Amino acid sequence: MTDQTPLVRIEGVSKHFGDTVALDNLTLDIARGEFVTFLGPSGCGKSTTLRILGGFERPTSGRVILDGKDVTTQPPEKRQVNMVFQDYALFPHMTVKQNISFGLELKGMDKRGIQRRSDEIMAFLELSAFGDRYPGQLSGGQRQRVALARALAPNPALLLLDEPLGALDAKLRGQVQQELKSIQRRTNKTFFFVTHDQEEALTMSDRIVVMNQGKVEQDGTPEDLYFHPASRFVAEFIGETNLLSGEMRGHEDGAVVMDWFGQTLRGHAPAGAPRTGAPITASVRLEKLGFHAERPATANAVQGKVVGKTFLGSRMAVDLMIEDAQGATLRAFVDAETGQTVGADPVWVGWDSDSMAVLRD
Amino acid sequence: MMRGNRIFLTCFYWAFVLYVFIPLILMITMGFKDSKFIGFPIRSWTLDWYASVFSNTEILSTFGYSVTIAVLATLISVFVGTWIAVLLEGRKFWGRMVIMGLTVMPALVPGIISAIAFRIYARLLGIEPGMGAIVWSHAVHTVPFVALVVMARLSTLPKSQIEAARDLGADPLIAFVRITLPYLIPAIIGASIFCMLISFDDFVRSFFLGGYEPTLPVLIFAKLRSGMSPEINAIATVALVLTAAIGIWAERFTRRMNKDS
Ligand SMILES: Nc1ncnc2c1ncn2[C@@H]1O[C@H](COP(=O)(O)OP(=O)(O)OP(=O)(O)O)[C@@H](O)[C@H]1O
Ligand SMILES: [Mg+2]
Repeated sequence: MTDQTPLVRIEGVSKHFGDTVALDNLTLDIARGEFVTFLGPSGCGKSTTLRILGGFERPTSGRVILDGKDVTTQPPEKRQVNMVFQDYALFPHMTVKQNISFGLELKGMDKRGIQRRSDEIMAFLELSAFGDRYPGQLSGGQRQRVALARALAPNPALLLLDEPLGALDAKLRGQVQQELKSIQRRTNKTFFFVTHDQEEALTMSDRIVVMNQGKVEQDGTPEDLYFHPASRFVAEFIGETNLLSGEMRGHEDGAVVMDWFGQTLRGHAPAGAPRTGAPITASVRLEKLGFHAERPATANAVQGKVVGKTFLGSRMAVDLMIEDAQGATLRAFVDAETGQTVGADPVWVGWDSDSMAVLRD
Repeated sequence: MMRGNRIFLTCFYWAFVLYVFIPLILMITMGFKDSKFIGFPIRSWTLDWYASVFSNTEILSTFGYSVTIAVLATLISVFVGTWIAVLLEGRKFWGRMVIMGLTVMPALVPGIISAIAFRIYARLLGIEPGMGAIVWSHAVHTVPFVALVVMARLSTLPKSQIEAARDLGADPLIAFVRITLPYLIPAIIGASIFCMLISFDDFVRSFFLGGYEPTLPVLIFAKLRSGMSPEINAIATVALVLTAAIGIWAERFTRRMNKDS
């Protein structure tokens, strides 16, 4: 088996609960050593996908291939996959060490092997001091690490994490995000992480799969998704953005040309380009709009009047009214100093064609 | 107004407590009376009745007999009750409510009716009256308590616990033994004590299904027929102290275990 074959292949998997379609013909490959995040709103089928990979649910149709073998009907105990549960599901009547050893015992490892491996993983996750404590005697962050240690101990090919940071407060959450990411790097394991928090997804992942209503909305790197969202759903779900509604004009040098209330704009082309004359929407991130005193040489430039400013600490959000575009508004991030100087006179804002994504729709 | 209410409630409460406990206090007091006749006034006190109870081999062996029956009935009841609970809890299938109803029924049937029914059934099956028959009827009577208590506990076991065990390589049986069962232990112990007390206390079934050897309540009944004596008070007091102690311990134990997990 070469490293080129995907570790996991989800082939046309659908899952119905009665009339509810939780997953609709999902197809997805996951490569070895990847940190993949499943991102989407509540009820879009993230947990269902994870549970199908873990073996807790059978797909209504489709196949799951793990390491080249069809595991669709294999029970969880037969799969080389471990899961970190949202509520951690630590065994309350076992100590931290017993919790971590549980999976090793069931793998048939001998006493000394179990001892060595559990000590190793506890040291790795800085849990050595808590070996004899019960889960009820640990803090939220410590429990989270125990859950992770228990799932990592049997050395699974794939680690599933279902919103494991949901129970942590904001500060600890940030810390644990960094920790998780570094653990993933150091172990070089494949992590399949589920969250509905877009910021979390952006900071941690190698790759993000955005889900909506049981379907993949977009699949790509965090940068891809952020700067080149494929659909309105993705553009709005991840970060803050300006949505520009206009009309398709055609293509020019690989860019899409659109008309926005009489202004001609150039944007990044989507996969299936719409017909000329069709209504289209484009997305441009707030930080991609540059301020200039004179008309800039960027592909897109419009003149606007400052109608509002919001101080955000390191930067400022500026609301602009574009008179030449029938009073449409744009919002831009500028550094706090620039933010203070603009205001009285009209300003020019410019952006590249590559920083504006024309959306599929 | 509020104050008046409070005083009234307090008085009412203590009146109720006295009403409940005066018979018990009288019974205990009479066990220490140095006279063969029960009633006031008490002129002198003695421990002789207790001495005679503890040196009476008939009473001691009857006590042992009752305890043996209680333990055996409880073992059967716990096994069957837990099994039913595990089978029924969290599962939806046709006929679940029917099984549920049938499970709870023995707790609701009046003792005398179930005793007579058992007597007839035992004769039909050719089972001799005696220990086996009593154990059987007590076990049937107490199964519902075990089933309900264990089901209540089981319903609070997060599903993710079992899934986590399965995820880590446990087949359903191992997951049951290593995760579910330890979780159920407090409930099972609580239910066991309760069953033992019910069985120990039972008169009607033991009376109808007993052979020549009486259980403790049946023996007390027989002794009463030959006239009341403070010896009976002494026996009853010993039984009362033991059951109350066990009952209170079990209640606290169960509460502590439930709190821990
Ligand atoms: N056991 C079940 N029985 C019936 N419907 C279910 C079941 N499990 C999930 N569903 C439904 O399937 C859909 C997808 O659920 P899923 O749990 O995968 O969502 P999710 O993306 O994980 O959401 P969340 O972010 O809220 O956890 C939902 O509409 C849900 O109601
Ligand atoms: Mg979920």
